[in-house]
Amino acid sequence: MVLEKLSDSLKTALQRVFRASLIDPKLIDTLVSEIRKALISADVNTELASKIAESIRKRALSEKSAKTLTAREHTINIVFEELTKFLGADIGKLETKTKPSRILLVGLYGSGKTTTAGKLAKYFKKQGQKPALVQLDVWRPAAHEQLMQIAEKVKVPFYGIKDEKDPLKIIKKFEPDFERFDVVIFDSSGRDALNKELISEIKNVRDSIKPEHVLLVISGDIGQAARKQAEAFHEAAGVNGVIVTKLDGTAKGGGALTACAATSAKVKFIGHGEHIEDLEEFKPKNFVSRLLGMGDLETLLEKAKDAISEEQAEKLGKKIMKGDVSLTDLYEQLEAMKKMGPLSQIMNMIPGMGQASIPKELLGVQEEKMKVWKFVMDSMTPHEKDNPDVISGRRIERIAKGAGRPEQDVRDLLKQYTQMKKVMKVMGNPKQMKKLQKMLGGKLPQMPM
Amino acid sequence: MFGFLKKAIDGFAKKAEAEVSKEETKENKVVEKLEAVRKELKQAEKIIEHTDISEKAEQKSGFLGKLFSKPDVSAEIRSAPLKEVKKIEEKVGFLEQVTKAITETKISDVHFERIFSALEEELCANNVSLEVIRRIKEKLRKDLVDISFKRGHVADIIKDDLRDEIYSILTSPAKININNLISESKQKGKTFTIMFVGANGHGKTTTIAKFAHLLKQNGTSCVFAASDTFRAASIEQLEVHGNKLGIRVIKQQYGADPAAVAFDAIRHASANRVDCVLIDTAGRQHTNANLMDELKKIKRVAKPDLTIFIGESIAGNDVVEQISDYNKAIGIDAIILTKADVDDKGGAVISAVHSVNKPILFLGVGQEYKDLMEFNAGDFVKKILG
Repeated sequence: MVLEKLSDSLKTALQRVFRASLIDPKLIDTLVSEIRKALISADVNTELASKIAESIRKRALSEKSAKTLTAREHTINIVFEELTKFLGADIGKLETKTKPSRILLVGLYGSGKTTTAGKLAKYFKKQGQKPALVQLDVWRPAAHEQLMQIAEKVKVPFYGIKDEKDPLKIIKKFEPDFERFDVVIFDSSGRDALNKELISEIKNVRDSIKPEHVLLVISGDIGQAARKQAEAFHEAAGVNGVIVTKLDGTAKGGGALTACAATSAKVKFIGHGEHIEDLEEFKPKNFVSRLLGMGDLETLLEKAKDAISEEQAEKLGKKIMKGDVSLTDLYEQLEAMKKMGPLSQIMNMIPGMGQASIPKELLGVQEEKMKVWKFVMDSMTPHEKDNPDVISGRRIERIAKGAGRPEQDVRDLLKQYTQMKKVMKVMGNPKQMKKLQKMLGGKLPQMPM
Repeated sequence: MFGFLKKAIDGFAKKAEAEVSKEETKENKVVEKLEAVRKELKQAEKIIEHTDISEKAEQKSGFLGKLFSKPDVSAEIRSAPLKEVKKIEEKVGFLEQVTKAITETKISDVHFERIFSALEEELCANNVSLEVIRRIKEKLRKDLVDISFKRGHVADIIKDDLRDEIYSILTSPAKININNLISESKQKGKTFTIMFVGANGHGKTTTIAKFAHLLKQNGTSCVFAASDTFRAASIEQLEVHGNKLGIRVIKQQYGADPAAVAFDAIRHASANRVDCVLIDTAGRQHTNANLMDELKKIKRVAKPDLTIFIGESIAGNDVVEQISDYNKAIGIDAIILTKADVDDKGGAVISAVHSVNKPILFLGVGQEYKDLMEFNAGDFVKKILG
């Protein structure tokens, strides 16, 4: 999960506020100092961390809460707002006004520029635009081949000259071609922003391309060096957006976020995986609520939308209301879940679930189980899937054989199905649903959106 | 490179000295007062010779004990009833002690916390992990709090402590001499296998090329195993290095089993009497269980003599997590940190060694093949502390 560690310590700090019956200055002091510590240990620049902590303290002590909010909610709201402010309030959308829109990627060695270039091309392609990739990294061995292979994978045109040592020549040669595209993404050599020679190269490249966007690609696990590097890149190339990569590990991301503060550019995207589609528009609000363990329904819904067609969803919704769900539906659901990503990621987006702190191993087991269920269902006849009640004795034996799994697995699935059906019945009944909400509602933190 | 702690220490020491001298000016006043008290007492002694024993003596000794916090005692002493001669002598002895204590200065615990926060901040700002900071703090606390030392020596004590502590962290893992290991295996007629692992983009392939260059200079022949079969153009990248260095690359196509590639390379090496096999693996996040399992398999198949973790010296607190998880999953023998030329914050060096107690072999310090610097703990400490 993105920024797991930072989120853990912040959650502990906030938990205190949740539990406390009275919010007094002393509690706020502890909260603020925990937040500061959490931020620093997440590689946020020390000065910046102090600044954020201080503004939270000031607001928490001075501002009176609105009548509709309890003191508790008010305090959490302030923490939320201040953290959001530091990340930038707007969604990281990359607006392309010029045609073609030229995007130049810059960054340190190994921060993931080339991979990100490919992911960006995929992103634009998905939006129905026509992107092209240009390789200007003339230093790193096989950088040319790397982007070429990525371009093949994404199925977008690729421009570059093998073994050419002057990026300006590459730009010049293909200049006329660029007009044909909506977006042209330029990859550049990784460089140390404090190295004058490389910096003058990037200045020349920039002047020659005249990009609409210069995006700084920065690794999520970079430490306190982030600030200086970001400042230097900004000075040389005029960074107006940031892409944070490698946020699928335990990377704290703090250094990268420090970079935003240093360049006053906002995070546009985050990279969270090795595959070409692992790029997400950055949404500060959602990011912070996920960070604070308050869930991120918006992203979840969006993912769900990507995974299930509206028609399917509506059909399923009706069935659920009636409490009439067959194994075929369960199968479709499992498929959709798989498209949405690992269970642990989904869980973190459900409000309240982030705090339930379900052990990772358990989720792993659950995921494993879901896989097995699919095998089992693959061995069922359509009739059995639609009417699971007919499955008994000999059918179980046959299904188990077909799936290559023990009979116990088939029984497990049937048991799970019956349970699910029961839950669905409750959810379909408005009266009972209210009861359930009440039960959960007490524990769920308010979403300060 | 790595000059970072010099500034930190100076700031910290200054603050510590300032705190102490603040205390000292207070204490100087106490000393003056004490002198006055002493005079009073001497007078009192004279008077006592002519006076009866007072019953309130006991009470007074408690009162004198509070002298440190209440410098304004002389007035009270003056007005106090006279005491037993013996008790007075004891008190004079006590006064001597107090006087000695304040000319030599002490730092109280509260005091220490206040001073240390400045150093803590500075260490944090240089990527030293929180665990290491905690350890340094304990050491300093032991050597500074409630221990008397001569005035003006605070900075020296702090510097010595830091130097000792960092040096002991860095030298605690057993040293590895690669050249010796390789020549030993050469004598036995065996192929020496080294596997390189680490997160994405930390410079594994570049470092392997530098490493091979170094081995070649020492007369050791090598072969590369292109076991990164995932990342686009990783094989081509290794081939470019191989061509430049005159080193053969054993490869298969993309998506091939990396363990099989490693196995091929080892077979090739032993058949052709190549001294050393260097296995390049795909970068991966330590949290990805499946990819870590793949790494375990490569290790199981290749049975490397050394597994070297490659990390970034510019990484923040995450380096601890990465390296510990890698060590837990596959077991690493040594560390190489790259990109040390990018920034002078050397905290990651200390954090990395401390987290898994494995030695750092080299630092990557540039883009050329020669830019691989042997790591020396003594030099490092000297550099960061001046």
